[in-house]
Order: sequence, then structure tokens, then C-alpha cells
Amino acid sequence: MVSDERSSLDDAADATLAARAVDGDVRAFEVIVRRHGPLMRAYATRILGSNSDADDVVQDTFITAWERLGELQDPAATKAWLMRITSRKAIDRIRARRTDQPFGEWDVPAPESESPHHQAEAASQRERLTRALATLSEAQRECWTLREIGGHSYAEIAEELDVPPSTVRGLLARARQKLMQEMEEWR
Amino acid sequence: MIPSPDDQNYDLIAHLSDYLDRGENPPEEFLNTAPENRIAYDALTRFRTMAQDILAGDVTAEPARDDSWVTRILTNIHRESRAGRSIPVSHPSPKAALSLTEGAVRGLIRSAGDSVAGTFIGSCTLQGDVTVPGSEVTVNVEASVFWGERMPQTAQRLRDAITTSLLHHTELNIKAVNVTITDVHLRRNATPGD
Repeated sequence: MVSDERSSLDDAADATLAARAVDGDVRAFEVIVRRHGPLMRAYATRILGSNSDADDVVQDTFITAWERLGELQDPAATKAWLMRITSRKAIDRIRARRTDQPFGEWDVPAPESESPHHQAEAASQRERLTRALATLSEAQRECWTLREIGGHSYAEIAEELDVPPSTVRGLLARARQKLMQEMEEWR
Repeated sequence: MIPSPDDQNYDLIAHLSDYLDRGENPPEEFLNTAPENRIAYDALTRFRTMAQDILAGDVTAEPARDDSWVTRILTNIHRESRAGRSIPVSHPSPKAALSLTEGAVRGLIRSAGDSVAGTFIGSCTLQGDVTVPGSEVTVNVEASVFWGERMPQTAQRLRDAITTSLLHHTELNIKAVNVTITDVHLRRNATPGD
């Protein structure tokens, strides 16, 4: 099979696009932005707990990515690398929001959830999980998201959030305990 | 009836989390000790699976958006940071000082390479002192070729296209164009039967 038409950059692998972007190819970078932007926005929204600053986080993420693409060790791992930048930018936003608050105060419980009966009726598993996550404290939700969605280790989360690893362990266990209750898994 | 959170539940979940987050399974005998141990462990692993699918679900559920978010990013990146060295270009008037950036030459090379069907140019370097007119310059490019293309012929077409373009558009004294095939690609959005 030999192709005659001019190749579209949309078909290029991340590694090729990243190499071109390092050389200054804005078109290649645009393909990376379109390909991974929606996922980064979803990830930022999960960490932030709402989509209000998500677009700014995505923009910061890609501006930083453009500057630092040359440092990317394995261009094939572009997505994982972008996710790490996204989580860092999202956490920066959260930090800025609560500059004057000591750590303990952002681990306050979220407002009471809707009744468990109502939750059981929700259409999809994703919606049920989303509702359950909304009942976590901010700190619990951040730890849970970085661990379960981002795949970070306790040590990495501790460093990102600037708390001891033992605190991360505690917040994660509390988060998981709450999710089980909320989703009626605990009988 | 859901029991209120107590320290016993918390300790059990923290204990199970230690296994889960180390990527290990808890011992069977521990899970068999009490039914709630297994119930809790099954729930934790189920949450993990759900978490791994959640972003893809979020992206799918997101309504279509206009393109302004992409435009905003592309207008805010610093393009000048990739200009590279300045390559002098001769001009009949001694008063005129013309130059071409290395980044612009890389753009020419990519564009020439992309015109060869079934290939993508990846990274591209100009080896040699391009800032001194007449210096020997070696062009090194990495390329990805479409699955099924014959590599030696494709590499030769790439070399020819790049050499021709640089002869037409620059005064560089090209000593060699080295093409390294680093990858083979498939069409990403291939339709069935394509």
C-alpha cells in the first residue's frame, strides 16, 4: 500500500509532533494541543473541583509545554508529561486561592450530599462517582484525583501539595471511606 | 443502613490502600478473615477502574466548543524562542544586511519533506557554521514513514526534495542530507477498509 496524498499532520505520532514543535513548528504543536487539550481540561476540572479555572490551567499548561518541550526525555510519553504539568498548574491555582488558609482549614467537609437514594438513581457510574467526589473535602479530592486518575505516588502527591506523606495516606483513606459510603458500597 | 464512619473502617481502608497503592494484592487469608474485608477491597479496586475511565467519559460528555481556546494558546506561546542562529543572505547592495533564521530554514526542510507522500519529518538539525557564508553544512533529519513504504526509496526522495528546496531558497553550501527513519506510522483516523 503506497499513499499518494500529502500526509496530514493529524496522522503523525506524538513523538514526531513533539520533535517538530521543539524545532519551532507551530502547526505540529497545534495538533498536540487539539489532540490532548480536552483531556487536560477534564483532568484540571477534576483536580480543581469545577471548570471555572480549567481553561486557564490548560492554557498555562500548553504555554509551559511549548517552552519546555526540549526537556521531554521520551517524546512518546507526551500525554503523561502534559498530565503532570496540568496537575502542577491546577495545584498552583488552588494554592493561590487559599494563600492565607492554613492546611487544616481546607480539609473541611464539603456540604451534605443529596440523599443516597437519589444517587442510586443517577444514570451512569461516572455521574454517581462525580456526585460522591463532590462530598469530599478539597484536600481529600485532590489526593484522590492525583492518585487514582493521575497515578502519582504518595511521595509525589506529598511534594505537590507540600504536606507529609503520612497526611496523604490519611487523606486518601478518608476519601476512599467517604466514597464507599456515598456510593452505598459499604453494607 | 449505612454505618457511620468509625475508626475501624478507616483503619481497614488505610490498610487495604497500602497494598493497592503499592500495586500488590492483599493476602487471601486477610480478605477471608471477615466479609467486610473483601467487600471493602472489591470496592476500592472498582473505584480504581472507574477512575481510570472517568476522564475519557468527561471528554465525551463535554459539548463541542468553538476554537477560541486553541487560538488563545497559539497566540500566547513565544515563537521567537525557536529562531536559532542567524544565517546571512547576500544582497547586491553593500548597505543591505539580510539574514534568514535557522528556524525558517528548518521550516523549509519540513515543508519539503512533507511534500513527499507518506512521510513526516521529525527533528531537524543544521550541522556546521551556518553564520559564515560558504561553510559546509550537513542537514540531519529524522523521519517517520508510512507503513508499507519502501524505506531506501523514500529516504532518497526525501533527500532529493530537501536538497532541491535548499538550493532554490538558500545559499547554504550543503555537504550532505542525512535521513534517519526513526518511526513507521499508520494512518490515525483510518476508516475500515482503508
